[in-house]
Amino acid sequence: MSNWPFIVAGAAILTFLLARRLRDPLPKVLLPLAVAALFVACWHVTCELMTYPYKQPDGTIRWVETFPNPWETVLGMREPIQDGTLLRFAVASVYRVAVGFGIAAAIGIPVGLCIGWFSRGAQALNPLIQAMRPISPIAWIPLAVLWFGVKDSAAIFLIALASFFPIVTGTMTAVRSIPVVFVRSAQNFGLEGFELFRRVVFPAAMPQIITSLRMALGIAWMVIVAAEMIAVDSGLGYLIMDARNANNYERVVGSMITIGLIGVGLDFLIRRLEKFDEVRWGFPNERELVTSDSLRIALGQEKVKTAIWGNLMRPGTFFRAR
Amino acid sequence: MSATQKVVVRGVNKIFPRKKEGDLVVLENIDLSVAPHEFVCLLGPSGCGKSTLLNLIGGFDRPTSGTVEIEGQAVLGPDPRRVFVFQEYGIFPWASVWDNVALGLRNLPKGEQHQIVQHYIDLVGLKGFEKTYPGELSGGMKQRVAVARALAVKPDIIFMDEPFGALDSLTRLQMRVELLRIWQQEKMTILFVTHDVDEALQLADRIVVMSPRPGRIAEIASVRLPHPRDLGSSEYGKLKNRLYELLGVSHSI
Amino acid sequence: MKLKLLIAAVAIIVGLYFLKSYLDKKKEYIPDVPAAAVPGAKSEHPEAVKERQHFIVGFLPVTCHLTCPVTSWITEHNNTGSVFESQKFTDFPSMKEALIARKIDATFMNMPLAMKLVADGTPVKIVYLGHRDGTTVMVGIDSDIHKFEDLKGKIVAIPGRFSNQNILMLKMMKEHGMKEGDITLKELPPPEHPSALAAKAIDAYIIGEPHAAVAELNHSGRVLFKAGEMWPNFISCGLVVRQEVIDNNRAMVEELVKGIASSGKWLDSDLDKGAQHRHDAALVASQKMFYNQKTAVLDYVLTKDITRVKYTDLKPPKDRFDEMMDLFNEFKLIPKHLNFEEYADVSFAPDLETIALPFDRLPGVEGIKPNVP
Repeated sequence: MSNWPFIVAGAAILTFLLARRLRDPLPKVLLPLAVAALFVACWHVTCELMTYPYKQPDGTIRWVETFPNPWETVLGMREPIQDGTLLRFAVASVYRVAVGFGIAAAIGIPVGLCIGWFSRGAQALNPLIQAMRPISPIAWIPLAVLWFGVKDSAAIFLIALASFFPIVTGTMTAVRSIPVVFVRSAQNFGLEGFELFRRVVFPAAMPQIITSLRMALGIAWMVIVAAEMIAVDSGLGYLIMDARNANNYERVVGSMITIGLIGVGLDFLIRRLEKFDEVRWGFPNERELVTSDSLRIALGQEKVKTAIWGNLMRPGTFFRAR
Repeated sequence: MSATQKVVVRGVNKIFPRKKEGDLVVLENIDLSVAPHEFVCLLGPSGCGKSTLLNLIGGFDRPTSGTVEIEGQAVLGPDPRRVFVFQEYGIFPWASVWDNVALGLRNLPKGEQHQIVQHYIDLVGLKGFEKTYPGELSGGMKQRVAVARALAVKPDIIFMDEPFGALDSLTRLQMRVELLRIWQQEKMTILFVTHDVDEALQLADRIVVMSPRPGRIAEIASVRLPHPRDLGSSEYGKLKNRLYELLGVSHSI
Repeated sequence: MKLKLLIAAVAIIVGLYFLKSYLDKKKEYIPDVPAAAVPGAKSEHPEAVKERQHFIVGFLPVTCHLTCPVTSWITEHNNTGSVFESQKFTDFPSMKEALIARKIDATFMNMPLAMKLVADGTPVKIVYLGHRDGTTVMVGIDSDIHKFEDLKGKIVAIPGRFSNQNILMLKMMKEHGMKEGDITLKELPPPEHPSALAAKAIDAYIIGEPHAAVAELNHSGRVLFKAGEMWPNFISCGLVVRQEVIDNNRAMVEELVKGIASSGKWLDSDLDKGAQHRHDAALVASQKMFYNQKTAVLDYVLTKDITRVKYTDLKPPKDRFDEMMDLFNEFKLIPKHLNFEEYADVSFAPDLETIALPFDRLPGVEGIKPNVP
């Protein structure tokens, strides 16, 4: 049993304990890094626990590993990284997700808007959608291969399918949860029909639509791995299947980690959408979250209020200047 | 007589049918008329139907029986000439202050729009905040945006349903002063719903006191005090007592 | 309120568990035969479950592994000796992982795959073979492929890169002057080959029986050539046992191999008298708890042309395996060169003369109906 995992774990735990005493702002990467270090340490220890001794014919004991440890995983990924295979496969997977997700959004958002707005539409289509939603995309694989063969289009079809239902359902819910006061205001000012939809319904629904897009993207990225195992010949899912067949489990785990990292990147990108002014109102303000930090943050909030208040208190805006 | 009145409500009843407990009578036999340029308050406790009455006059709902007429014409639906200012603001959080105020003016040429929007933003004291989004404004400021938006279309009537209810008491006082100033300057008819006796006394020309379950008009009191109103005068005190009496509430605790 | 919800949730889960157990027990099994796939099932032969050692052997539903269900059936109907239970896998990777993780002690497996496992450090040994020949190249019934050269530029499915099917393809490609990549070799689990051919996702496949015959019998494919024609006495799969088990429980392994060998001998003992033994084996092995395939297909493969498969001469031959090792090195499938003794242990292979056949017909075979899944 090697010693370094315990040292690293100790350092990580020490960081957690100290962090509570330190003032904000901590360097943002510190705590996640400590967690990652702890995770790698635990991984290594688990691997070592899973090895067993085997007495060779000449009497010596050899330790047989059943699961790759962190360092071996990194080494196992060296080849695909160096010869560009990993990049090529990652791009292939991301491409398929992008196209499939794009198709799902392009069809799903309008359909969701229609179903949400027109109650007859909801009555008609909602049962069918809710019945098809729980069918895992993986169950669609046989049909996908039947219809599209074993090309990119089969994988893209599966991604589009997987993303479509969360987007439609989310959009529909978004439209239905618009506070009625918005619609009343709009009607009051003479907005009707398509103009009402464009100026009020759609913008009001946007934050929740973005949330459903985010969830759908997560699902799409999960599905691509399964989709690529149906004998498509590139992509990260294919890499895992190939590594498994080649008995190279270091590469299997390394590919999984790559998939996870890219997933984080994709999520980060889509969360950037939440920062736009037109939708920012729909997402909880960091300052308004109820956390143990809210007391400290509230002080900051007060300062903002005072600034605006001071502006208003100037003679002329409020009171008649005497 | 009805031709000179801005709003005429005659014999209006509003009943909500319910399956189990029997129909709910929200409004019973309401008769009311509002003169042009008048500031009328609907005053009453919760459940007396004042918000429902406002919605009926504004066209967001239809009475079960009786008529609602504005300028001699029956009210069939919402209209930009009768603008609502809601308690929960109703301004659009996805649009800037400027875009919100310009909502009713979207069909006008750009130059004219610009002039009007800027005028009303200044009028409500939000100059400098044109590009700000509602998420960054305080409650009082958001309400000012709603008022500016309503005023910009130069409506005949403005309906206000407890518009200052979500604000703190200091801001409320400021907003009342502002509202009076604007009303005197722009001269439109205002129908104002509140449950606050002081608010009604400070603002209204006439106060329609309503009683609950079922909603009825108890009395219509005229307030003939000139603005600015002295909150300490004996006239004011007498009116206040009368109102509390009508509401059936003891005012000395 | 919350307590009630918690109790309800626990009650539902417990209820589901009992419901599942009850329904599992009601699965249809052939009367008089222990349900080999369900652990803990009761048998009509109390001796079969009491006081006798159990040992699980893995298999895939291919004729190369036929001696597994046959031996399993025989031991379950015996009164003495260990009981060999069989565990079905649907693809080689899962089987490989079960072996690596020590979840299974013995399994029938592709010979090259076993050699690869040893090369990668998993201590296992090949102790016996499955059968000889029994691998066929199938093409679409209306395809224009009539000889090996016609496969150039086409997609051919193989059960895995570590298989003699793959090696044979590579060997023949080299002999016909083709380069790597002239034929696309796609890895697919054996049960998926016939449907892939029918769906025209692939142009041909090379696989062990009966999956080759499936395409033949539903008229979606025809035979291009048999592997045995190109590489005589073609070796495909064999029995692989973990070294630990060999070291710690040698007697069990001996009993196992003897059972497998006697089943093999029995299968081929009456070929000139109508091959009734093979008919019996087809009937039993095709049942739900073993292969769960159409009895007619298995029967066709085993008996229509008795040279299609062979169940004798199954002691692993050193010269053949050395040849295979050289080919692996040449085609860069296994980087290092292993000696025969490092991955094979032929000490268990019995002298067939010394084995007595247990009986003529399989016990309990009269009550079994042909299976149509």
